[in-house]
Amino acid sequence: MKNQRRPFLTALALLLFTFAGNAAEFTGNVTDESGEPLIGVNILEQGTTNGTITDLDGNFTLLSDNAAANLEVSYMGYTSQTVAAKEGAPVNVVLVEETTELDDLVVIGYGVQRKSDLTGSIAQVNSETLGKNQKANLGDALQGRAPGLQIVSSGSPGSNVSMNIRGIGSILGSSPLLVIDGVPTDVQLNMLNMEDIESVDVLKDASATAIYGSRGAYGVVIITTKKGQKGEGKNNLSLKASYGVDQITRTLPLLNASQFASLHNEMMTAGGRAQYPGYEDPPSLGAGTDWVSAMTQLGQTQNYSLNYSGGTKALNYYVSGSYLKQTGVIKTTEYERFTMQANMDADIFKWLSAGVNLSLNHDIKSQGEYNLLNAMLALPTQEMYNEDGTWAGPDGLAMYVGDIANPIGKMTENTQCTKGYNLLGNTYLEIKPWEFLTFKSLLGVQALFWDQENWTPAYDWKPIATPESQASRQYNKSLTLLWDNTLTFMKTFAGKHHVNAMIGTSAQVNDYEYLSGRVQGFVSETAQQMNNGILNPIVGGSRSEWSLFSIIARASYNYDNRYYITATVREDGSSRFAPQNRWGTFPSVSLAWRPTQESFYTPNRVLGDFKLRFGYGITGNQASVGNYAYASTVQTIQYVFNGTQVNAVAPLVMPNPNVRWEQVEQINLGFDASMGDDRLKLTVDGYYKNTNDMLVNMSVPISTGYSDVYTTQINAGSMLNAGVEVGITSFNFVGDFQWTTTINFAYNYNEITALSDGVPIYFDNNVNAVGHPVNSFYGYVTDGIFQNQEEIDNHAIQTVGSNKYSSTQPGDIRFKDLNSDGVIDENDRTFLGSPTPSWTFSINNTFSFYGFDLEIFFSGVAGNKIYNGNRASLEAMSVAQNQLVTTLDRWTGEGTSNDMPRAVFGDPNRNNRVSDRFIEDGSFLRLKNLSLGYTLPKHITQKAAMQSVRFYVSGQNLFTITKYTGLEPEVGGSGNDLNVYPVSRSVTVGANITF
Amino acid sequence: MKTTLAKILVYMMVALAFSSCNDFLTREPYDSINPDNLTSSDDVVAMVNGAYQPLQWAKLYNMRIWTLDIIAGNSVVGAGGGEDGIETIQMADFIADSENFAALDLWRGPSPGILRCNMVLQSIETVPMEESLRTRCFGEVSFLRAHYYFILVRLFGGVPKITEPQKVGEDGSIPKQKRASADEIYELIISDLENAIGALPYKSEYATNDLGRATKEAAMAELARVYLTRGENYNRVVQLCEDIEARGYDLCDDYSDNFTIAGKNGPESIFEVQYYGKTNADFWADENQSSWLSTYTGPRNSNMVAGGWGWNQPTAEFVAQYEDGDQRFDKTVLHTNGPAFDGMYYNSSWSTTGYNLRKFLVSKGESPDFDTSAANWVVTRFADVLLMKAEALNELGRTTDAEVPLYRVRSRAGLTDRSTIEGLTKDQMREKIFHERRIELAFEGHRWYDLVRRGYDYAREFFYSIGKTNFTQKNMLFPIPLEEMEANELLEQNPGY
Repeated sequence: MKNQRRPFLTALALLLFTFAGNAAEFTGNVTDESGEPLIGVNILEQGTTNGTITDLDGNFTLLSDNAAANLEVSYMGYTSQTVAAKEGAPVNVVLVEETTELDDLVVIGYGVQRKSDLTGSIAQVNSETLGKNQKANLGDALQGRAPGLQIVSSGSPGSNVSMNIRGIGSILGSSPLLVIDGVPTDVQLNMLNMEDIESVDVLKDASATAIYGSRGAYGVVIITTKKGQKGEGKNNLSLKASYGVDQITRTLPLLNASQFASLHNEMMTAGGRAQYPGYEDPPSLGAGTDWVSAMTQLGQTQNYSLNYSGGTKALNYYVSGSYLKQTGVIKTTEYERFTMQANMDADIFKWLSAGVNLSLNHDIKSQGEYNLLNAMLALPTQEMYNEDGTWAGPDGLAMYVGDIANPIGKMTENTQCTKGYNLLGNTYLEIKPWEFLTFKSLLGVQALFWDQENWTPAYDWKPIATPESQASRQYNKSLTLLWDNTLTFMKTFAGKHHVNAMIGTSAQVNDYEYLSGRVQGFVSETAQQMNNGILNPIVGGSRSEWSLFSIIARASYNYDNRYYITATVREDGSSRFAPQNRWGTFPSVSLAWRPTQESFYTPNRVLGDFKLRFGYGITGNQASVGNYAYASTVQTIQYVFNGTQVNAVAPLVMPNPNVRWEQVEQINLGFDASMGDDRLKLTVDGYYKNTNDMLVNMSVPISTGYSDVYTTQINAGSMLNAGVEVGITSFNFVGDFQWTTTINFAYNYNEITALSDGVPIYFDNNVNAVGHPVNSFYGYVTDGIFQNQEEIDNHAIQTVGSNKYSSTQPGDIRFKDLNSDGVIDENDRTFLGSPTPSWTFSINNTFSFYGFDLEIFFSGVAGNKIYNGNRASLEAMSVAQNQLVTTLDRWTGEGTSNDMPRAVFGDPNRNNRVSDRFIEDGSFLRLKNLSLGYTLPKHITQKAAMQSVRFYVSGQNLFTITKYTGLEPEVGGSGNDLNVYPVSRSVTVGANITF
Repeated sequence: MKTTLAKILVYMMVALAFSSCNDFLTREPYDSINPDNLTSSDDVVAMVNGAYQPLQWAKLYNMRIWTLDIIAGNSVVGAGGGEDGIETIQMADFIADSENFAALDLWRGPSPGILRCNMVLQSIETVPMEESLRTRCFGEVSFLRAHYYFILVRLFGGVPKITEPQKVGEDGSIPKQKRASADEIYELIISDLENAIGALPYKSEYATNDLGRATKEAAMAELARVYLTRGENYNRVVQLCEDIEARGYDLCDDYSDNFTIAGKNGPESIFEVQYYGKTNADFWADENQSSWLSTYTGPRNSNMVAGGWGWNQPTAEFVAQYEDGDQRFDKTVLHTNGPAFDGMYYNSSWSTTGYNLRKFLVSKGESPDFDTSAANWVVTRFADVLLMKAEALNELGRTTDAEVPLYRVRSRAGLTDRSTIEGLTKDQMREKIFHERRIELAFEGHRWYDLVRRGYDYAREFFYSIGKTNFTQKNMLFPIPLEEMEANELLEQNPGY
């Protein structure tokens, strides 16, 4: 990264020397990256024995016979540099601390590889990048950090992000496989303490993921936790603490009580109903109740982490503990997390080593029965409390006073809590009979326990009371065991032929069980244990298993660091399939060429290194297959004869004995380039990914008698994802003032290319159909508003009838008659866009100067649509619910509006049907992180026996540029923004202290 | 030594790879029975019991069937207003399309029952079991299959005729079938019912614990209803009704006793959907064992019964149909001048029409929570059989004979002035009987069928008379749900949808 070769300057210096011909004095200063002077650094004039060392301030003076020379600057523990020097021009050298071995290595699954030897498409995010972001959730911190890794944040405390690598690969979901310290796992990312993470490697193309075979189809995210460093004097104790406040990014302006009453009167009249006497005089009602303010608050996040790491000659260790507490922007939502991590590796003999990684976690997520949409829809005319202090609620006919039980009351009284107790660990033994052969046996365990607790007191809610108090519990247990055995051969022949081969087996088994219970009629509302309820106890429970056995092999060959070839194959057997479909083979091959290493190429500052990569492979997916999808089963149910219960059995799911893996075939072509003296690094990948035998839920005709809701899966479809990913890192300034810019962007094209018999799959407001992107929106197309009866008469029939209260009238929305048959019906619906962004991008600028560090990180998406489901209710104007202020511009007569329809009770024209009226552009660009830190100078901290002290202040999601009118454009899933917990804006202050 | 160690390692891995792999990969379900194991008579009985169970579903008698009275104009949804019950509102306004999920529910309800019947029929001959039990089981599923198909054919017309369990094809294809004609379906129904009549025991032959199983009388009444729906074979209808009469059925003294928990499977009862009340199953799940009726139809905001969601509010037009002195009015409808229910008097502001339904209410003493009602749903009762007999007699030209069963039903309601039904023409008598059916069987799910079986003109005239001018020929049948049309491209949509 530092200017290592400056042939031009050297030549210039030599030229000057020729003219000068005098002895010269070179001066300069050497510091470390944080700007601290380095004492006793060796300075040697290249090609001579002339040298000196730096003084207490890091300064040096070297007398030379030459007017210009190259100086070799070296210091223990730092990477040596060669700099050009000439008289009268002091050189400032910044030495970079030698990075540990791991930084140069990329974790590739059942092994590691030098970054320069990679042939597949792998992006790495290291702890330094993660550490800049003060988000509590690792998933959130990864957003925008790796091109091709798309992450949708979730707002509620303790909830998880959704991840996709290189687009959505399958209708039934395509989450990447998560591997933590070698153990494929299904823990949630938010369970991890971010301080414990050393690196996150994102395996993207098939040649990289095929080693995970039937689980590698949609990418693999490999998380490696921190280790201590072997050797004396590397111990350190590190403490981190932060505190932040969170705020809802936007609230939607709603009608006040008098505005609502006017709208309601108008709506009732249009619907042919009597007006409500209570709304007779709207102005007298004033502002009314503000339910949303009563439901939201400033959230808070506290995060503390302490870790100690170190080692001896034959041992290293890392232990840590952390505590996190969050309160959400919606009242009653809370998350608390405790974590412990203990990692250790030991060399027992020269040929035998062993180690253990252990992670323990306990978290508590609690919330009331909140419903933000209901808080928006609740009537401003409704009081919060009755006179006796109890929660008030709508008391009267629903069409007048609404039907939403007091949302603040429900949130306060009805509670829910999930507690998790998680253990994730592995222990390994490594035997090296020869230097070139390693046998490794790894035992992994993942024990997840989680309890759900619900409490609902008896309460005389309006409009519908809860007559009995009720408590319910569900205890879940999931135990996964893993045993991996690998044999790795690694040797270099004749100095040029590098061979690395691995064969192994992997066996994994999971056992899941739950027990649930519910009881009513609690004697006292304060004693909420199951024993205290006396009425109607019910119990439930079930158990299921899966297992996977695999044989894996990989061979890499590299000739003289110029030509690379890697081939992998994995043979997977899964219990989820019938014996005849049980086994699958997943091969891959990848090639790379570094022309810059060829003898014909002279390394130069324009293009220092270039690597061309090609990869092809077939991977699989079985995550969306039920554990017993192939087997015929019946469920046990009940019936009753004359009051006596009898056992009954019934088939529910039509079995599919033919179900098998989903297969993904992927080609990747890319290059890595290092330019301008390594000042500009560029990685570009293009891919073409076909999901074949795509698993979809079987579309079972209802008339067969099998459930059309609970269905097994069928391999009946295919999907294409193709795209380009670019990652650019530019070291704009190096030295005392550093400025680095990182730009990531990715484009993905998605299309469903085949489905079972071409039958579209409809759900929510979406459809999956051949020739369209996955989860496309589907609905009617609006065409303004009928201004008068003539326009209605001249248009296709929408809602017929001679009754003006139950038919299409002026002020209603005109829908396009797409099939021109004169009737607006379900055949007039069409595709209204895709909820999945085609573009994802981020720009990060980091600066550091004299102890200060600054990060400005933007990330965004483009090309996606959102169905604003909240607005579909908040602009419905058809029932007694509060509405957005935008409805003040509603149609009230010819020419008054051409986009906001009239208010009419019952919505006879179905103005609120799924249509482009509620589809909005979901693109956004947000300032994801802005952080400013200051590290105290070493000479101060060293006096206090501290290695480093950093204070920082950081802001997340400070602003977002978007056209979307809802609460938050990050809605996730299939793009339906219906009561989604909004992502918040936050400001955090914190300190990191290392002893 | 090193070589030996390496060899051991290699052997270990090879052994691991190939030994006992299939055992490791074989995982049987823990909580489910393989239907191939239905080998004992207990298994068959359990599957027969399972064939009854869809009757309990909200997709059928727990909700959708009684909402047919709303569609037929006897009542309005009421409920929470707005989107609450929107699917039924759209059906009742005759603006529903093939995406309507009330129609979807009604399509979804019967088929699982038919599948369970077919599973029993497939194996009943081979399972070793007591002969009389085998015959009874055969009769039960024959009755049930006919019953399920009869619901489908009346609401949707011809449907796929499926008489054995469907399987995924060897080539992985999903089984699909075309719609059979309505006549073909009726042929199957009639032959199933004849089989059932032949095989089933009489109600009196069942043990108390088995009351609620299909009986010979239930199959006979069903067959009578099939013929009346088809407008054929009136002599057989009369015969079937008389055979049932001969088995000692009688009208309950109190009309309301037909619908109470205490009165379930009583002397008037011919076939009922059985409910238990509170059980393990979730209220909203198909496996739910409690009746929804009282919970749904209790007046909203009234606290009169547990639940009380305000559905099914009788219209003023319906209320006006009651003759003076008809005791059924107070027993069917909650109105301002009516008697108290469970000590509470009615307040007409609880309803958008000024009326709520009283017929199926269960007091909080009997059902403390919304999901605890053990009241049965009456599918067929003796009063209905009497009215069917009257109808068949009238159609045979025996109008005077028809007065007898008609009078028997009316006199229980306190309408003892026989002259009002005497000396009528055949047409007048027909109207009188249908009017009686509308009142006697109000909200029991018969009104829609009774309207459409009279033909389009009759139904249209009625709907226009109550202001439902959207009614057209297409509304005589419900739309085949879009979801099903898409899952099975062999299906043809009903005309007009």
